[in-house]
This record gives sequence, C-alpha cells and structure tokens, in this order.
Amino acid sequence: MTDHNSVRHATHHSADRFPNGALITNASRTIIYVNAYFTTELLWQTTDIIGKNLDVLFTKPSSIFFQSYIVPTLSHERMCEEMQLTIFNANGKRIPITVNATVKENGCIYWSFFNSSKRDQLYDELIKAREKLTEALEKVNILASLDDLTGLLNRREMKHKSAHAIEKAASQGQTVTLLLLDIDHFKKINDSYGHLEGDRVLMALGTLLKKSIEQQNNMEKMGLVSRFGGEEFLILLTNITEADALSFCNRLHRSMADIVVGGAPLKASIGVSTLTPGMTFEALFTQADGAMYQAKERGRDRTEIFTSA
Amino acid sequence: MLSPNKILIRNNVNIIGSGETTLILAHGFGCDQNMWRFLTPELSKHFTVVLFDYVGSGASDISQYSPQRYQNLEGYADDVIEICHALELTKAIFIGHSVSSIIGGIVATKQPSLIAKLVMVCPSPCFLNIPPDYRGGFEEEDLLELLNLMDKNYIGWANYLAPLVIGNAHSDELVGELSGSFCSTDPIIAKNFAAATFLSDHRDLLKNIQQPSLVFQSRNDALAAISVGEFVANEIPNSSLEIISADGHCLHMTHSDKIIGSILNYAQPQ
Repeated sequence: MTDHNSVRHATHHSADRFPNGALITNASRTIIYVNAYFTTELLWQTTDIIGKNLDVLFTKPSSIFFQSYIVPTLSHERMCEEMQLTIFNANGKRIPITVNATVKENGCIYWSFFNSSKRDQLYDELIKAREKLTEALEKVNILASLDDLTGLLNRREMKHKSAHAIEKAASQGQTVTLLLLDIDHFKKINDSYGHLEGDRVLMALGTLLKKSIEQQNNMEKMGLVSRFGGEEFLILLTNITEADALSFCNRLHRSMADIVVGGAPLKASIGVSTLTPGMTFEALFTQADGAMYQAKERGRDRTEIFTSA
Repeated sequence: MLSPNKILIRNNVNIIGSGETTLILAHGFGCDQNMWRFLTPELSKHFTVVLFDYVGSGASDISQYSPQRYQNLEGYADDVIEICHALELTKAIFIGHSVSSIIGGIVATKQPSLIAKLVMVCPSPCFLNIPPDYRGGFEEEDLLELLNLMDKNYIGWANYLAPLVIGNAHSDELVGELSGSFCSTDPIIAKNFAAATFLSDHRDLLKNIQQPSLVFQSRNDALAAISVGEFVANEIPNSSLEIISADGHCLHMTHSDKIIGSILNYAQPQ
C-alpha cells in the first residue's frame, strides 16, 4: 500500500463514520472535539458544543451524577465503563446513553456515547419487576410468618425467631423464659358453641397476648408471641426474673377472664421454663410443655414452673 | 427499642475531644462521619464531638436497616433522638450537612430539650420547585431521573459516590481525595435514602424551629441555590445566614477554613 493510499484510507475510516458519539474533553472538562454523530444524530451545531463545558449536553440529574460518580471514578480508575446517563439533543429531547471514558496522559478524556434507548426500556422493566417482586415478597413473608386467624407469629416463624433470640440473649448473658399457654377445655367450647365462637375466642386471646407483650417490651426486654398450635400460644420473654414471669402469668390469668364464653370466663393452663446454658429451643419448649401438662393435672387455670426435680 | 449500647453500635457512634458543650455532627447523603475530618481536629480542641453514621452508611450496623423506618427523614431523626438518649445528652449543638440540617430540625422540634442550637451546612427543606413561589431547583422529572440513574447504574455507584456535590470548580485531585472518603453502602438503601432526601418537603418545619440556627449557604451550589438558603433563614425565627463565596454543596469539606471560625464562635456558650 502506498503512502498516498494509506492517507486516503485513513480519511475514509474517519471517526465521523462511526455510529456512536466520540468526544474529547480537555483537563478542565471543556469539549475540544466531537465526531459527526453529534451533528447528524443529535442535531447539534459544532459551534454550540465545542469550547463548552461537558455539562451543556447533560440533563441536570446527569450533571449531578457525572460530578458525584463519574468524575471521582475517572480520578481513581482513569477509566469508566457502561455508565448510564441522559443527554439532550439540540431540540431538548432527552436521550438515554451509555458512556465509556478513559483518561489519557495528556489529561484529556476520550468519551464514547452509545444511544441506549432500548436498553433503557429494558432497565425500566427490570426496575419495575424488582419493585413488584419486593412488594410481593413482603406480602408473602407476612403471609408465611403470621397465623392467619390471630395475626400472631405462626409456629415456623416463632421457632426461627426464638432460636435467634436465644442465641442473642445467651451472648449478652440475659435470661430467656418460655411460656406455653393452652386454653382449658377448648374442645368443649368448639363442640358446644361452634367453630365460629372458637375462632372468636382465639382472636380475642391473640389480641390480649399481643397487648400484654407490647406493654412488656421496653429498652432492655423483648417478647415474642405466637399461636403455636390449635389452642396453644407460645410466648418468649428475655431479661425477666422468674418472679416477674410469674406475675406476668397471673396478670394474663386475670385479664383472660374478661373474655367470656357461654357466660363463663376464659381460662388457661400455663407452663413456664427458663433457659439454662447450652439449651436449645426444642429442649426449652419440652420443659415448658411438661410444666403446662403439670398445670393441667393440678386442676387447670394455673401456672406451673418447670423444675428438674 | 434497642439498649443504649446497641444504639451506639447501630450508628457507629464515636466521641472525640472534650468540653462542656457537645456537638453532634450529622453527615449528608452519600457519605459518612468521615466527611467531617476537615473540621474535627479544631472542633475537638474546644468541644465534645459526637460523630455517627446513619444506618446504611459508613460502618453502621446494616442489619438494623428497616425500609419502613427509614422511608422518610423522621426515621433518621428518631435515630438521632435515640443516640442523644443513649448518651444522656441535652442541649447539644447539632451540625448537619444538607439533608441532615433538616433531620436536625425534626429532632429540634420533636424533642427541643435535646438541641440548644443548630448549624446547617447547605440545607434544603425541599428540592422540588413548587409553584408559584418556591424554587427548590428541580422539577419532579429531574429528581425521578436522578433516582432512576441510581437504579440504572446499580452496579458500582453506591461504592463510588463522592459527597454530593463537590462542585465543578475543584481539581480532580481534590475530588479524588474527597471521594476516597465515600462509604461503601448498599445501593438499595442509598436509593431509599435518596428518595427520602430528594422527594420530601419540610418547608413547614422551619418556622417551628425555636432554637437559634446558623445557616451556611454556598454561592454556587448545584443542589441548593442561594434563594433556598435565604428561604431557610427567613423561615427559622431565630437564624442568621452566611453566604460563602464558594462552589459546591460540601462547604465543610472544600472550604472548611471559611466556616470553622463562625462555627467556633457560634457554638461557644453565650
């Protein structure tokens, strides 16, 4: 190839023939070169942009993003890739673009601009999908963790949260107390007054337990309350003495009496167990369950504390 | 409600210096307590200085993040209130940058006994233009696009954001140095913080601030025009405005020498 040919060849392959924007800014971010894309596709007159700050092309949010993100990135990495911004064409139309840029030794920055309208639509779809998924996931999490009837934690969530609470309390040297409450003669309530009445009783008790726990919670104490089974409610309290746990149970017995079924006050048996070092949730639950059965055996409508004797 | 100790861990609270009077330094969006490093050496000679990170920023405990609590600035203000209670602080001087000026205002009106004075560095109570009279500087379309850009540049941006917004006139070296302080954070959390920051309107809060307030306004700030600083100072009953001949939204980083004297004077017990 002759010299003459290669010159013609170079002209023939100029940057003006590329289907993307090519732009150079000097060290003070003044535009010193643009290829023909800016005039043919973005409709700018070169005189409108050459000698101007790069900001002339950007929308206001893009300018902010450019200053806060792209400039520091270039300053640290000397290059950036696939940044998404929005520029104006000469008619003020907003055009989403993807930008690659690199800083050369002379301090000039070489920019490639690619129109990314289609990719932008895809991103919008993805972002909307993510928002929908996040929302749906939140709903599903609530559905999966709460008891449908009472709105308390369900069995699975209670197990999960209790194990976590036990670990946390143990690491901080706090006590953990488990209360298992079982409504007395609940089957009789269902058989005599129907399942709707049974449900009403469960909901009323659920509300009462939630309120009791909220009153209990403060800076240092934490409580969880769940419907653990049919008529079984499980409560976990941290940082509470045995005496306080007992008076909490006594208050529950008293306030439950306000829930009236067939003219009689609602009653329950409660078993209490306190965590000892190294104990799992399952072991703690087994003890509370044992204490609750003891309360049943000793005449119901009472609280029993688990003792290893 | 967390225990005092957990609150101090949650917000990565650090106390430096000593003095009768306590200053609480609250960073702005896209940053952490590190952004105060140009002021703290001098301030800690005269005052007890409390530094912290909002949940989701800096070295805060990210596991404590809750989208519900932090969907608006009140959630962030509650963090500050809890920090004050955990440290048993009253009558502190609250210095907030940008959005934190407003968070400080929420704290000052919610629990006035906690805050004796406010210092606001480049505050904006509302970034939106609200016809006919208020010009926050942005149309809603602009702010939504800004949030959208955060989403589109999801990979990377939250790990590499310089304090919003340093300004055009500064050298790349300074920008590089300042952006080195950026706290790596979760982009979703950062975007939620941005939405709480940029889409809120707290103009009505200002007239209820009873504490004396010092407002610093930059002469050329892409995020808050001089008129915004004037609006803030006009609305707060007991306030003074200092306009600094500077470029950018981070006076405490780029022009710390110009504001330190005023802060020292203002914070001294009268």
